[in-house]
Amino acid sequence: MIVLGFDTATPATVVGLRLADGTMLQSRDDPEGEARPGHATRLLPLASELLAQAGLGWSELERIAVGVGPGTFTGLRIGIATARGLAQSLGVTLVGVSSLRALAHGVKERTTAEAAGADPVIRGDGAAGVDSTLGTDEGAGVLAMIDARRGEAFVAAYDGDVELIAPHALPPSAMGELLERAAARTNLQRWIAVGDGALRYRDALERPGVVVPGARSALHRIQARAICGLGTRPPAHAPAGDAQVVPDYRRRPDAEIALEGAAS
Amino acid sequence: MTILALETSCDDTCAAVVDDDGTIRSNVISSQRVHDRFGGVVPEIASRHHLELVNIVVAQSLEEASITLEQVDLVAVTQGPGLVGALLVGLSTAKALAAARELPLAAIDHLQGHVAANFLVFDRDGGREAFEPPFLCLIASGGHTLLAHVSDHEGFQTLGRTLDDAAGEAFDKGARMLGLGYPGGPALERLAEAGDPDAFEFPTSGSRSRGGRGATRAFGRSLDFSFAGLKTSLLYKLRELTEVERRERASDLAASYQAAIVEHLMLRAEEALDLTKLGRLAVGGGVAANGELRRRLAELGASVHVPPSVLCTDNAAMIGGAARFTAALPYPDYLGLDAYATGERPR
Ligand SMILES: [Zn+2]
Repeated sequence: MIVLGFDTATPATVVGLRLADGTMLQSRDDPEGEARPGHATRLLPLASELLAQAGLGWSELERIAVGVGPGTFTGLRIGIATARGLAQSLGVTLVGVSSLRALAHGVKERTTAEAAGADPVIRGDGAAGVDSTLGTDEGAGVLAMIDARRGEAFVAAYDGDVELIAPHALPPSAMGELLERAAARTNLQRWIAVGDGALRYRDALERPGVVVPGARSALHRIQARAICGLGTRPPAHAPAGDAQVVPDYRRRPDAEIALEGAAS
Repeated sequence: MTILALETSCDDTCAAVVDDDGTIRSNVISSQRVHDRFGGVVPEIASRHHLELVNIVVAQSLEEASITLEQVDLVAVTQGPGLVGALLVGLSTAKALAAARELPLAAIDHLQGHVAANFLVFDRDGGREAFEPPFLCLIASGGHTLLAHVSDHEGFQTLGRTLDDAAGEAFDKGARMLGLGYPGGPALERLAEAGDPDAFEFPTSGSRSRGGRGATRAFGRSLDFSFAGLKTSLLYKLRELTEVERRERASDLAASYQAAIVEHLMLRAEEALDLTKLGRLAVGGGVAANGELRRRLAELGASVHVPPSVLCTDNAAMIGGAARFTAALPYPDYLGLDAYATGERPR
């Protein structure tokens, strides 16, 4: 199955094309520092470049997979509107993928690759201890964290494919408690936290012993490979329900909260 | 040529199918009735609703036009100005719809869309009509107040624009002060029906002496609008009155306030008609539905064109209408297009 997958939940614009034989072509735009995300201007150009690279036309796509967040509201809407427009125009199935699950999936893939004897890939740039801390077994739980701004991170916990804790927004002060809740649902002893949220709240995570790979580790970035891979699974709903692929906001609009605050 | 057009610049999710001769084959508008309790459009809430509605509205516009995407030759979409988050939903959708079929895309300026609503063909009184340039165009809505010299189909020259609030905003703010809720324009108009428009005096900043006649430079400035003083004046008048007086004289206040807004619009329009010698005026925007404005327009010694209400308020048919006269970008030149919030289109 030929799948075009992308994610715009973080400032990065992440695009991948999975070919019929499973080969992955990937491309991404990571804005420097605080630069404005390029979701609106980079997403479709990157996708068309990948198609050209593969010598494919849009009409040859068989499925669209999109990261549904949680993450930046405007980014999510650009990604999902684009995905829905493509699916509507091409008449193909659209699948929404949790951006946090995609983040966690990256760790699982890398650990599996290590176990298979490939090069150790969990390598923190300048954080030498990380490789040995995580080891080559699969015995680490994953906290996937996307910066939610306002002093919070969107976080979910996974044991492989099993979601231990569903995505929600959390302040760093609650990370210890989160870890206890996650640990109570599994017998995993060690935890690794990935994503720009993990980088932002590294201190709060390392205190209770969570491993946070070095800042330049690819594990902190959502990979198109994960979006496409998770997107090849059977969709949760029929193709006619494409409009049901909606952003996973996990936060209500401020105006609604303010209005209710004023009323009570 | 068949054009599929999208418009999501504010709180209406719109899609339409328009033929290149200006015939409207469908014009679907899904108005978000969710902002009233906030007393104004909330950008984040508007953007969320656009995303929920946009594909459904597109599908409905195609269905009502009895076509499929196969038959679409050009996709048109509002690029700005407006709420960026809202615009991006329509723009992303339109780019994707077009890209998947390698169709050309026309990126349309929202105000050019309002102007182009006049070029659309519609049935009225058994005949089919459209209004052709040159003409003067007054666009008054909750988001904009603009006086434009339309000399051809491709663009317009701005003669005046509001320096503060838009005309529709002045209606809404006045209505709120009078306790009429949001959106208050129509409610204010209803209240004004029983009132005396001369009961209270409001500034109309309409002195015709400003700026010398024929002096082109002064001309531009003197045709600008301002409604902030009017709003403040209403606030002071309400403070001067007792609770009982405010209630008893509410319709007089509404009628006088409405008359002042309309008077300001009319003075600028008349002035522009004098200066341009065009003798033809088109009116668009939500305020075009106002009865008092329509009454005053009918008294004007000019040929006045007011499209049907659905074409005056935000809609996608007008965006498709503008696309008929806009150079479309071929695939893939539009893939990187961004929305813009204010002013002119970035080059
Ligand atoms: Zn408008």
